[in-house]
Amino acid sequence: MSALLKVENLTMRFGGLVALNDVSLSIDKGAVLAVIGPNGAGKSTLFNVVTGVYRPTSGRVTFDGAEITGRPSYEVVDRGIARTFQSSRLFSDLSVLDNVIIGMHTRTRTGVLTALFRPSASRREMAACVEKAETLLKLGSGDLFEQRYRPAGTLAQADRRRLEIARALASQPKLLLLDEPSVGMDDTETDALVADIVRLRAENPELSVVLIEHDMRVVEAFPHHVTCIDYGSKIAEGDFAAVRADPRVQEAYLGKAVAHA
Amino acid sequence: MERGASLAAPGIAAAASFAIASQLIGAAFLYLILRVDGGWQVLGLLALLGLGFYLLERLPWIADYALASFARVPLVAMVTAAVIVLAFPFFVGSNTYILHLLIVAELYAVLALALNFQLGSANIPNFATGASYGIGAYVSALLAINFGVSFWLTLPVAALAATLFGFIIGIPSMRTRDTYLALVTIAFGVVVQQLLNNFSWTGGPNGLVGIPAPSLFGHSFADPLVIFGWKLPSQANFYYLSAALVVVAIVTAHRLHGSRIGLAWNALRADEIAAKAQGINVAWFKVLAFAVDAFLAAFAGTIYAFYVSYISPDNFTFLVSVTIMTMVIVGGMDNIFGVIVGAFLLTILPEKLRAFADYRLLFFGVVIIGFLMIRPQGLFPQRMRRYGGEP
Repeated sequence: MSALLKVENLTMRFGGLVALNDVSLSIDKGAVLAVIGPNGAGKSTLFNVVTGVYRPTSGRVTFDGAEITGRPSYEVVDRGIARTFQSSRLFSDLSVLDNVIIGMHTRTRTGVLTALFRPSASRREMAACVEKAETLLKLGSGDLFEQRYRPAGTLAQADRRRLEIARALASQPKLLLLDEPSVGMDDTETDALVADIVRLRAENPELSVVLIEHDMRVVEAFPHHVTCIDYGSKIAEGDFAAVRADPRVQEAYLGKAVAHA
Repeated sequence: MERGASLAAPGIAAAASFAIASQLIGAAFLYLILRVDGGWQVLGLLALLGLGFYLLERLPWIADYALASFARVPLVAMVTAAVIVLAFPFFVGSNTYILHLLIVAELYAVLALALNFQLGSANIPNFATGASYGIGAYVSALLAINFGVSFWLTLPVAALAATLFGFIIGIPSMRTRDTYLALVTIAFGVVVQQLLNNFSWTGGPNGLVGIPAPSLFGHSFADPLVIFGWKLPSQANFYYLSAALVVVAIVTAHRLHGSRIGLAWNALRADEIAAKAQGINVAWFKVLAFAVDAFLAAFAGTIYAFYVSYISPDNFTFLVSVTIMTMVIVGGMDNIFGVIVGAFLLTILPEKLRAFADYRLLFFGVVIIGFLMIRPQGLFPQRMRRYGGEP
């Protein structure tokens, strides 16, 4: 089976800083890849390069058979990659429902002329969006649906993370990039999040997920493919047990062992 | 922000009476403030208005009730509004000064609605609306004077020319943001005004004189308007024409706001990076906002040119753009009704404060600041979208 997303020899430099150094990884259709590594290792930069926020210094990104290196974000989303942000970036003055509807931007078509001269077509499209958005909000853990007319900025932290995921799913992605979805969640909420991801995969067997995580309990739930990045370079890859046992990973997280010096 | 009101939804009868009564009161207030002259009377009316907005701020359920009522009986509300707008000149009678103020207020309402697409919906501080307005006015005036093109034909041509200008200023502006974007648009506005001042074919500082009055079905807009034996001054022609344009602007704003486009604009206002991550082509939607703004502003410019029949670069200065921006901010960003109220208030108020002679502008500033203190989010702030007829 060919890889859905393939990242080859990706290097990203900001002036003298090497944020990503020759990173390669790939993920198959329907798989979950967990990316771990200390703060500042370059994990979020990886997402930013894949989604077209940054153009890489060198390297290639291929998605679903097409090269998307450095393509603009709107094209990348249109092709089927959706993401969430580490520090949730919701449209805080808009309602929860509107946030999800905006997530459907690439799946809707109304232009200015349609909106002005065929208002019924525009209204129909919007009504369909509302219906889909309400379904999405009912699906996950939490009670986002009941809060759908609240401004997104007033949501509790865990709900903000859930809304980010719902918004990302609204674009019907083939690949979902989750940037530390469990930040700010307590243990119960984290368990619910894991259950949400498991359910999501059961419902969409084709959906691939890349997960940046610090919470090892989340990583443990998806142990088959784990990649560890440190100082911009990939230092380990394999299943969770192997990566956890890798001395370089332990070093990256815990510091150099005294005996090693 | 929370909708705290648990007031029972109004019944049909209550909603209809509310929709009619509230609009009549609004119209009566507008009529009074246009009629009175003395400083104390104006002050009294302003105090009344201030009190109204104070109550609105303290008792948010009033706005909820009003919106629920209008949503319940939209037809009644619209017919009432139409009757009021149509009947207003009959009450004003032969007072051409009041009609003139109303026309200018209507044109400014269109300009403010145009800018609202950018400033209100997408948070693009465009200081070049005055320039688009001017381009519309000059293009149509030049066509009419030099080629004898009819008013009705110059309308779309001027709008297209200004839209092109919107694209031209929109594209370089995309490389900048916030303060820098504001500077780019200020520069564009000033450049346009200077060009109008220096070209010989635009008449230079003398402007263009003798723009012919439009006519419709053989009725010249320079002639008095006679309806059912009532004779209205010639300004009434332009009053109705501008009112029609306001309706066009409202429909445009309403349809765009309720569509995917309005949402995309709101998204990039709230968080540009997140908007990009939703697949919104941010650069395109910004340019689009410039184009729509210029399109509507040019309509207003065309009507203005034919109304006053004389235009000069002084009509389209940077100050005009600032005034339009103030109307949007005071009225309420991204709220169609608020923006119109802002435009009327800011057009009429300086005229009504003439009784204060030398202190007029000082007093005008104080009043505006006062209103912003009472309603910091604008007189009628933006509201959450509601779907499927839910309250």
